[in-house]
Amino acid sequence: MKLNHIKYIVLAAGLSFAGCKRVLNLQPTDKLTADAIFGDPQGVKVFMANLYYQLPVEDFTYFRGGFNQNGGDPNNGGFAPAMETDEAAHSEFGDFVGDNDFQWWDQGYKLIRDVNLLIDYIPTLKIRDDEKAALVGESAFIKAFAYFALAKRYGGVPLMKQSQVFDGDPEKLKVPRSTEKQTWDYVMELCDQAIANLSATKNARRATRWTAYALKSRAALHAASVAKFGNRITMTGDAATQKLVGMDAADANGYYQACIAASQAIINGGYSLFKPSPANPTEAAENYRSIFMDPNVATNDEVIMIKGFALRGANLGHNYDIWYTPAQLANGWPHPGRMNPTLDLVDQYESYATPGQASPVNTRVDGNVTDYNGFNSATNYIRFNTPNEIFANKDARLWGTAVLPSTTLKGVPIIIQAGYVKPDGNAVIRTKDQITIGGTTYYTYGAPDVSMYSGFDTYGGNNTRTGFSFKKLVSNAPVINGWNNSTSDWAEFRFAEVLLNMAEAVVESGQGDVAAATKALNDVRKRAGHTTNITLTSENVQRERRVELAFENKRFWDLIRRREFHTEFNNRFLHSLLPLQDLRALPDIKYIFVRVNVPNTNTKTFQPRSYYRFIPGIGSNGLVQNPQY
Amino acid sequence: MIVMNKLRLFLFISVVALASCKKDNYDGPDSGLSGKFVDEATNELVQMDIIRGTRIEFVEHGYANPQNQYMILKNDGTYANTLMFANTYTIRISEPNFIPIAEQELVIKGQTTLDFKVTPYIRVKDVNIVKNGNKVVATFKIQQNVINNVQKIGLYAHSDSRVGEPMRLVAAEQQINAVTNPATVYTLEIDLPSNSTQLKPGNDYYFRVGALIGVGGSKPNYAAAVKISI
Repeated sequence: MKLNHIKYIVLAAGLSFAGCKRVLNLQPTDKLTADAIFGDPQGVKVFMANLYYQLPVEDFTYFRGGFNQNGGDPNNGGFAPAMETDEAAHSEFGDFVGDNDFQWWDQGYKLIRDVNLLIDYIPTLKIRDDEKAALVGESAFIKAFAYFALAKRYGGVPLMKQSQVFDGDPEKLKVPRSTEKQTWDYVMELCDQAIANLSATKNARRATRWTAYALKSRAALHAASVAKFGNRITMTGDAATQKLVGMDAADANGYYQACIAASQAIINGGYSLFKPSPANPTEAAENYRSIFMDPNVATNDEVIMIKGFALRGANLGHNYDIWYTPAQLANGWPHPGRMNPTLDLVDQYESYATPGQASPVNTRVDGNVTDYNGFNSATNYIRFNTPNEIFANKDARLWGTAVLPSTTLKGVPIIIQAGYVKPDGNAVIRTKDQITIGGTTYYTYGAPDVSMYSGFDTYGGNNTRTGFSFKKLVSNAPVINGWNNSTSDWAEFRFAEVLLNMAEAVVESGQGDVAAATKALNDVRKRAGHTTNITLTSENVQRERRVELAFENKRFWDLIRRREFHTEFNNRFLHSLLPLQDLRALPDIKYIFVRVNVPNTNTKTFQPRSYYRFIPGIGSNGLVQNPQY
Repeated sequence: MIVMNKLRLFLFISVVALASCKKDNYDGPDSGLSGKFVDEATNELVQMDIIRGTRIEFVEHGYANPQNQYMILKNDGTYANTLMFANTYTIRISEPNFIPIAEQELVIKGQTTLDFKVTPYIRVKDVNIVKNGNKVVATFKIQQNVINNVQKIGLYAHSDSRVGEPMRLVAAEQQINAVTNPATVYTLEIDLPSNSTQLKPGNDYYFRVGALIGVGGSKPNYAAAVKISI
């Protein structure tokens, strides 16, 4: 009983003395002061490593929830950014661009504050001048990267050029938004600062002059496109009238020029494509894929910057292998096979027979590639000898990007079959069934058991519903069952992107060296096994971007910056290719294909307001909100 | 004994922690705003979209940096929000399907009514939608009330009565991009067999004709939807 009284007293004392000054004046023992960190070059190094970790790199851990989605609870169902574009469908989810997707506001300003603190301390550091210059350049690069990530999401944002000091009045800390133009110009300025101060020695793991040029090439192209294609949409409201979103068409050429110059600098700087002249398409497909399985093989030529994933199980591993490896190779992991490349993407790949144009997968004798109403026994389908013969002449990068039906991955043939047509002409599609004819049993999904195929069965949401599974960014090692066990590195800047940036800037602006830009476009195609040069047109460049950069989280921003999202996605169905075994052809083994809307999905529509993300916390930060939020 | 003590401790903490709380004295959202959008010239309701259509934007006064709030409209041009706080509001309509009207301040107390007299960008007139063999055919005229180009016209079909440009299973659209003549009769048709996965024979579907003016951010104008069995 006495003990209880004491308890009350202690508790009451705790509650009532919580405001005492002396307690709060103690220096925390679990935190380092700025002087302790920045006073020591090693401390700066550690601090810098943390800044790199915070960089908004849209890598293996970038999902709709934001960056570095591998700590805490990484379970987001494997819904990748590619699934908010026309590149892929999720095996189960039908989601599309949501208001809360890809937000990066608080984290962005946290990173910028951290960099600004470092910048304040650089002059006081006891290190050599060249080391100081390197730090100045590196800080500018990180800041440029951060403001680029903010500008492409929010348009014009508050520019924190110096670190802020809090003197007790929070109102003084409020900085209004700059215009979108001022924001992009600041990104350019920071890139130039980085270029001027960083070393020209190649290093894929830390910012160099070349990394800064690559960032500038990408950012300038984004800014130029927003200016040039801004008139494809109309923004209304305060943010639009104050020019916080949108730019004038007249501003486009300056940014295109900046993109061309930055790209040209990298081209002159000794970078080149990895294995630029393959002997044949098969070799080209393997060359292409090997860049993504391990970008470190290409750091001497193509890969300009890498983000490493080094430690299994920790926050330094990722989950692409468990989410996206085809179901047959799940190795016990319960939820594989979620990345389903769409027929829409597959159609974009050229055929070597018809260079310079998209080659939609032709399934019918009459050549109709726009009928998505499903199998019709009266239609005359082309019969193929294998489930992938239909892709025979397609661009090597298709073979390096998608798992096509009955192709081999990690030594296992991946079975993707949607059903069969019985000898009487009736089809059984997306239903588990079997039929025995002449002593042989045929299965709708191409094999008797759910562990033996990877397509169309809705079991577990683990099988592709587009007819394609994912290859480009998954590793060749066996899947390890558990979170964050993948340690393949991410290639953030590749020379191929730089070439295509330049080609686009030249063709869209009419400025620069057309011959060099045409060569850039065709060099990328040549590496993919093409032998015929094509002309430099806007359409050719965009198609090339789609196929070369597929699944590198570029398509979303291409649709945004070129203001094509709302026209590309207006009540749009994505499409699948159903491989069916045609048992009417027995004893011959024949396959037919049917183009359909992705099963169990609805149409997707992009709302124009989604060209910009909403700014969080308007109530307290007092900023002008983006239109229509 | 231990249970008693725990209980006592709990009560004690509750008393200390809640000591400063007072039930707040604000009224609940007991007010509301409703009304309709009426064509100034014809006195007919102006047809709307329920999703991605015209919205009423309202800003509640008395707060620093208030967020915009939005109300959606029903397809028939009426609207109602019956759970609002009594207060003064700024009411404005951004990106509508009629000639923009000035924003207004409004005191909302109790269930308040606010009707809007507007001039739709386009009046869709003399609409006739019929099933003709394997096709659903719509004929109509459009009368535009601004000088801008008409961007496109469309016939939209959905199983839900709230069909429209943003909400359709099948659409037959025609790009116009020109100033139109009010005497011109437009014909749009949806071929049923080639849309058989979306419009299944034997079911009822709603068909609605719409037209979009070439004004940035504007929404389409419509005639009322028609139910047809196919």
